Amino acid sequence: MPELQKLYDAVLNGDQKTAVAVTQEALAAGVSPMELITNYMVPAMDKVGSLFECEEYFVPELLLSARAMKGSLELLRPLLAASGAEPAGRVVIGTVKGDLHDIGKNLVASMLEGAGFEVTDLGADVPAEKFIAAIEEKKANVVALSALLTVTMPAMRTTIEALKQAGVREKVKVMVGGAPVTQQFAEEIGADGYSDNASAAVGLARKLVA
Amino acid sequence: MTGKERILARIEGRAPDCLPLMPITMMFAGDLAGIEYRGYASDHRMLAEAQLRVAERFGFDYVSAISDPAREASDLGAAVEWFDNQPPAINESRALIHDKGVLSGLAPPDPSVPGRMKDRVEGVRLLAERAGKDLVVEGWVEGPCAMAADLRGLNTLMLDFSDDGPFVEALFDYAVRMEIEFARAQVEAGATLMGVGDAAASLVGPRLYNQYVLPYEKRLIAEIRGMGVPVRLHICGNTRRIVKGMGETGSEIIDLDFLTPLAEARAAMRPEQVLLGNIDPVRALRDGTPESIEAALAECHAQAGEAYIVGAGCEVPRGTPIENMEAMARFARTRR
Ligand code: B12
Repeated sequence: MPELQKLYDAVLNGDQKTAVAVTQEALAAGVSPMELITNYMVPAMDKVGSLFECEEYFVPELLLSARAMKGSLELLRPLLAASGAEPAGRVVIGTVKGDLHDIGKNLVASMLEGAGFEVTDLGADVPAEKFIAAIEEKKANVVALSALLTVTMPAMRTTIEALKQAGVREKVKVMVGGAPVTQQFAEEIGADGYSDNASAAVGLARKLVA
Repeated sequence: MTGKERILARIEGRAPDCLPLMPITMMFAGDLAGIEYRGYASDHRMLAEAQLRVAERFGFDYVSAISDPAREASDLGAAVEWFDNQPPAINESRALIHDKGVLSGLAPPDPSVPGRMKDRVEGVRLLAERAGKDLVVEGWVEGPCAMAADLRGLNTLMLDFSDDGPFVEALFDYAVRMEIEFARAQVEAGATLMGVGDAAASLVGPRLYNQYVLPYEKRLIAEIRGMGVPVRLHICGNTRRIVKGMGETGSEIIDLDFLTPLAEARAAMRPEQVLLGNIDPVRALRDGTPESIEAALAECHAQAGEAYIVGAGCEVPRGTPIENMEAMARFARTRR
């Protein structure tokens, strides 16, 4: 029986090689993918998030951990799909039009993925039409919008407007975030939720799809 | 005193007649002059026009050629995204040094041949001609970490630190060599101060900052000072954990974003180190009132002590009310 705690440590330490190796061993020994995700990867990413909050970890460490987790998820994803396990939710995420900041968005995407969501990442500088197309194609139930610039915050509002125009607003919950975004702004533009960090974004997404 | 005398007095440890005033304005300056940002960033005549106007309108002690971080990367052929009324930006998904091997074959860009770097050099020249007698003319270059991120892609660079330290050092070395020449061209065109912007450095944390970034910032800043102009080091974002190192770079002015209390910076640095900043650009300056702005600046001044220059934590946001900028200017002119 492989020592599964090593998976937790590997994700926490951003060690992709070990994360992948332990995952392979675990799968070979018959451990279920869900157990790896729920008991080891998610807690590790939660810890990573809190180390970031208290300035022990910085962006490089965060991205290393996210990469380690993704390496392991790559192996698990086909198994999860084959077992017919439903994802926790289907999220379409992107940074809004005009805005190229993507680090925060990437972290939110990784955390959601780690928490069992199926995530479609549209990248940065994403026009509303792309969100709409992806919602339909992926049958998403959550849309996550990120903006880091005060000049692109209005694009969150116009994206939500465009979802309404296209008749898909009712099909999805919209969550927003990014440094200049506030709870108040989120309410003003008719978003369904806001959070100021990636770990809380996971809790928020769970609540929204519940 | 002229604005130039005021800033130089502050830097040289002599008493200016009142606090120097050096907020960064880009989109705000363009809007004030009725110039679309695409023009501001691509035609130095528009930039100079807007800078002269904003400086005159509010009595700034300087004008600046800063516009966006993509000038150097543009000239090297990186994929740059243009917007009508917003700064151009580098498209990271098509980063120039996506493949590490590209670096060894990359010649530093030449700021004397037509391109976006030369446009900045010409901007400096025009500003120096039009206002250099009375105002400080600030040139601008990217710091090593920011420039490396512009070329490699920020997300990738963050992983490189742990994957391939020697590559990071080679990339920083390249960035510094190129920025030294860019700075030199701007100094020769009449810049009397050089801004160094190293935004990405706020993301790496103290260990990587001290190991990788700081030595290259020091080298760049020492070279620029060797050209006979003082330096303003600006790092956007939360620099609380690296601020001590910033104080060791030798930069005459340390320009801090609002997330780092000036009291912390002061405690970490020499008492004579000039600090610049640092009210929250959006919440305090754009969304504040003349009274709240005065109070916020008074707090900055109290924390920084005497060696202080008035400014916001970062760029003055577009949409900042005129009376709020006036309040900042009034604060500077009535305090010392
Ligand atoms: C890195 C950086 C850049 C890089 C971006 C590279 C990249 N690939 O992302 C580059 C150099 C390209 C850049 C360019 C510019 N930038 Co910039 N940049 C930054 C910087 C230093 C860090 C941003 C960051 O990554 N933070 C770290 C992440 C982890 O935090 P985060 O994004 O806030 O995300 C967290 C939360 O907000 C939340 N979250 C984020 N998204 C979402 C989404 C959802 C749904 C949820 C629930 C939560 C959530 O979770 C995340 C994790 O906890 C900030 C300063 C700062 N430190 O904030 C300036 C900053 C954001 N930039 C700024 C500016 C002005 C610019 C430029 C306009 C500069 C210029 N004049 O050219 C350009 C604009 C380019 C463009 N069109 O987008 C300003 C914005 C001011 C404002 N409020 O409008 C800032 C604040 C600097 C400043 N102090 O003025 N920048």
